[in-house]
Amino acid sequence: MGKVIVVTSGKGGVGKTTSTANLGTALALLGKTVAVVDADVGLRNLDIVMGLESRIVYTSMDVIEKQCELSKALVRDRRVDGLMLLAASQKNNKDDIQPEQMKAICDKLRTTHDFVLVDSPAGIERGFSNASAGADEAIVVTTPDVSAIRDADRIIGLLQNARIEPINLVLNRFSPQLVGNGSMMDQADVLDILNIELIGVVPEDSGVITSTNRGIPLVYEDGSPGAQAYMRIARRLTGQRIPIHNFEQKGILNNILNWFTRKR
Amino acid sequence: MANSTVALRAYGDGLHLIIRPHLSISEVEAAIEQEITRMNRSLAGASVQIDLKSPTLKEEEIELLSSKLQQTYDLTVRGVEVADEPVSPPIAAAPTTHVISPTTDTRTSRDSEPSRIVAHTIRSGQTEEFPQGSLIIYGDVNSGSEVKAGGDIVVLGALRGSAYAGMNGRLSAVIIAMDLAPLKLQIGNYVNRLSVSQESRGYPEIARIGAEDVIIVEKFVKF
Ligand SMILES: Nc1ncnc2c1ncn2[C@@H]1O[C@H](COP(=O)(O)OP(=O)(O)OP(=O)(O)O)[C@@H](O)[C@H]1O
Ligand SMILES: [Mg+2]
Repeated sequence: MGKVIVVTSGKGGVGKTTSTANLGTALALLGKTVAVVDADVGLRNLDIVMGLESRIVYTSMDVIEKQCELSKALVRDRRVDGLMLLAASQKNNKDDIQPEQMKAICDKLRTTHDFVLVDSPAGIERGFSNASAGADEAIVVTTPDVSAIRDADRIIGLLQNARIEPINLVLNRFSPQLVGNGSMMDQADVLDILNIELIGVVPEDSGVITSTNRGIPLVYEDGSPGAQAYMRIARRLTGQRIPIHNFEQKGILNNILNWFTRKR
Repeated sequence: MANSTVALRAYGDGLHLIIRPHLSISEVEAAIEQEITRMNRSLAGASVQIDLKSPTLKEEEIELLSSKLQQTYDLTVRGVEVADEPVSPPIAAAPTTHVISPTTDTRTSRDSEPSRIVAHTIRSGQTEEFPQGSLIIYGDVNSGSEVKAGGDIVVLGALRGSAYAGMNGRLSAVIIAMDLAPLKLQIGNYVNRLSVSQESRGYPEIARIGAEDVIIVEKFVKF
């Protein structure tokens, strides 16, 4: 029986879809069977980021309306074994789906896959309830800025109320340079506020944009810092214990300067 | 109270620096320094309106004062208002104490109130309310959340959201936090919106209503 993990954030544009695509692919590269589910009905883009856009025939809406079997709606990623995508309908909107219907789909997928990753839309409304309805666990994605963190905090509260556990944090678009000169919060600041388990830090990586545009998740081409970060998170999801990579080692002088500038 | 010659108060529209009449510029400066020290918070980046109780300070003096506030405390003067109320005789400066005036407070005392313990962090969008008495929180009160109590609020963590103590009118209510960096504090109907110093100070602080009817924040040592 597989695990259903919702990837969510509260704030939009912080990297949920990027994280879902890369973690799904990374888990498959590690030999797991994975279904990634786009729950962003009406604004789907997981298919684009994964480069599977042209192969979509059916969506979760068709499954719900019994137009086709779930197995038929799944698009197989030909680049790696065991990776499937269930797309969202672009012409419907979030209120056209009930949380129980999403839960039913997730429950079915978990019987055939080790991991079911659900890409949640931004916000705390219906789209979020749908995406989290079938989830056992959650990955909350945030960037190191106060508004994203406040929204993440809001979402964590809602996930806790729904008894979804554990809730793991991905800190995305982290920039050691900006932390170094005191203009970005560091890891400790973020964790101090959110107080949940950190499962990984993904650095700001210009490769993400090109990979999105080409429809090839970053993790297919190792080497980039972003790809390595996502591979490490995937390993942690499979239960491996890997220490959190420290992007912030910039030497003692920098730390001292940092300490002073932050005092203000 | 600390000194009755100048008072720093937080109103709905922000900070006001109230300067009483019959003062020389040097007395005003000294009193301001004392008042700001008493606040025990950095006011850096905040803006303040100067309320003159009578036009005793000359225009050049006000200008000088404004630039001094800017340089010394990083306080921007957003306006100057001169009240045209009758000029009263000078008020003698009283010694510094933090005695809470018993005046209008006829509500229940701290001992007769129940309290509620909350054993988790209050997150953005969540509200914890206990009008019957005091709230003790074993966790943080995060930005975007709210705690309200009839009595005191004690946060055994960081207070980053808003806190409203004494919601039934008990003005002796206090707010204590291990790390006091709130968005808004309210005790009874006194509001403090100093969004200054969201930085951790590394020691617990207590907020209460001081004799000048302004919420004061100071290092918490003991009750
Ligand atoms: N680590 C990163 N480095 C650089 N750019 C990034 C990184 N992560 C995400 N981005 C960029 O940020 C943008 C938003 O990413 P993404 O679509 O994954 O966010 P989202 O949370 O799914 O957004 P939405 O709320 O709209 O669904 C994209 O343009 C993506 O390329
Ligand atoms: Mg998205």
